[in-house]
Amino acid sequence: MNFLEKRQNFIYNNLHNYLNNISSMKNQFLIIICVFFIFSTFQINAQDPVFQTFKDTRIINSHSVETVPDRKLDFRIGHRFGNTKGGWQTLYGLESAADVLFGFEYGLSNELTIGVSRTKGAGELSALISPSMKYRILHQKEDNSMPLSLTLMGVSTISTMKSTAGDELTNFDKFAHRVSYTAQILIARKFSQRFTLQIMPGYTHRNKVDFDDVNGIFSVGAATRIQINKVFGIIADATFLLADRPNEIDGSQKFFAPMGIGLEIDTGGHIFQINFTNATGIIENDYIPYTTSSWGDNEFRLGFTISRIFNL
Amino acid sequence: MKKLFLIAVLIVATIILTSFLPEEKSLLKIEKEDAISEVLKKLGDTPIQHQAKFIKGVSSEIGADLALRGIAKKPNGGNTKKQSKHFVCTSCHNIVKEDPDLRVSDPQARLNYAKENGLPFLQGTSLYGIVNRTSFYNGDYDKKYGKLVEPARNNIREAIQLCAVECAQGRQLKNWEVESVLAWLWTLELRMEDLNLSEADYQTVNAALNNNGSKTAAIELIKSYYLQGSPATFIPPPSDRKVGYNLKGNPKNGKLIYELSCQHCHEDKRYSYFDLDDETLTFKHLDKHISKYSRYSIYQVARYGTPPMNGKKAYMPQYTQEKMSDQMMEDLRSYIESRSR
Repeated sequence: MNFLEKRQNFIYNNLHNYLNNISSMKNQFLIIICVFFIFSTFQINAQDPVFQTFKDTRIINSHSVETVPDRKLDFRIGHRFGNTKGGWQTLYGLESAADVLFGFEYGLSNELTIGVSRTKGAGELSALISPSMKYRILHQKEDNSMPLSLTLMGVSTISTMKSTAGDELTNFDKFAHRVSYTAQILIARKFSQRFTLQIMPGYTHRNKVDFDDVNGIFSVGAATRIQINKVFGIIADATFLLADRPNEIDGSQKFFAPMGIGLEIDTGGHIFQINFTNATGIIENDYIPYTTSSWGDNEFRLGFTISRIFNL
Repeated sequence: MKKLFLIAVLIVATIILTSFLPEEKSLLKIEKEDAISEVLKKLGDTPIQHQAKFIKGVSSEIGADLALRGIAKKPNGGNTKKQSKHFVCTSCHNIVKEDPDLRVSDPQARLNYAKENGLPFLQGTSLYGIVNRTSFYNGDYDKKYGKLVEPARNNIREAIQLCAVECAQGRQLKNWEVESVLAWLWTLELRMEDLNLSEADYQTVNAALNNNGSKTAAIELIKSYYLQGSPATFIPPPSDRKVGYNLKGNPKNGKLIYELSCQHCHEDKRYSYFDLDDETLTFKHLDKHISKYSRYSIYQVARYGTPPMNGKKAYMPQYTQEKMSDQMMEDLRSYIESRSR
């Protein structure tokens, strides 16, 4: 192991241990709020900011740098069908639903968005409620005086399913066992009217995991938008896990990087997405740690998202 | 003693006599900053009936807040509900003089004036001087709003409510809110300097004020320098949308229309869900739809506007003939076509 690897492991292990030691949900919540307030002092009031780095607040699975404008409500429905590998017997997955999302996001200001969503859950945990917050710190400017947009995103997920008996993941001795968190830094640049690129390093923490799994997972993702014309665009994203984590759990489950590609349709008031992804879950605390489908084994599915903005 | 008495009598007599002497009146003279309504009143004209009533809670400051932000402080504390989720008054109306000559409604002259003065070029008539007019929702607006225009045509309060509910797709204003808006509109009344009167005209008016000329003629002279109502003629798109109006377009003029008019609402989705930026993709999209019967066709939306729908109440008002001429439509088209290549 060379010096850089040793330093990386040192930072990772210390941060990992620190975060694991914060056992109370209240402390974790307070820390997230403090981070947002600290970074809010970095906000620069932009003149002529670049408009629509992405057309929506989501790409395929991941969040984009976009926040919901002031006093507007974003309502979205997301759906992931079953695995296409099922073939004709399952109509290539269309007869089943891997995950379903109903969510709202509201712009408290042009920079700050709060949201809540309900997903079925594709992993072991289900009936997921996920409050979220996004804060835009930097906004790319048209004159390139600010070359990037940067947004902080935090989402916590609470499984509201009934606790089971035994020593399973779904046995919740404490309320905290139901909770997981993801925080990401979203950094994007709109290179031209046709091309946008985003990078998103992040950290996901699950309070309760299987015995040979890890609570904390660092990840780094990338996303892009390629605009074909005013209405249609190609979108894609991928999230790569940096966890020092076993590739298999219980000798059975293997974990893969969630990746997706899709078509985005902008009709003015609505944004439609049709996508293919190997991820079964829709929320970060679901698809980042629990993607067990592989593109290489043709284990991908069709999904769609409808998003509508309302003036309030 | 006798002398003192005589002096006292003389002083008292002087005072009594001088009080009967006729006063030397100074000549009346109008100034350029004088409000037209005041000058007309001095000439003996019947005052305009829609003065604001200063009931409890009414102020022009509150009226300005309602007009410019859509929200204001209530008299008893707290804020009002937003008048409209979609628009404020300045979404469609300027609040300064927007025509160089208030006697005519010339859209090209207005566009040139907007460019020189850094104004947007909007479908609605400017609120500046609206209180000096006597009729509203004129011309063909009954085709759009039917019987709703009848109470509004000669009543500015009803016109304000019609605009608030139908055009802005918002809530009805309370009485004190209407009076506050009206009080604010009176701060935007026309001044003598807005009329471009000649020196001879000023002399005529001054003479009439000082009873050296016909006051009726002076009143008519002043009123001839501005329109009592804003004309509105609805015209259809060209019958053949591929050919258009068969006029040669000027892309430079079209650029002005795109930037000062279209982008006032559509840039960064300011008042619309449809973004209009300066990217080639946008111009290609508009160019592709010019000849179509869709809401992306500039002919369709400029001449008909867009309708309100369930779930999407905000709609685009159309441009009447007085707000956008056929030539200007072709100018806009030529600009879009030049940018789409």
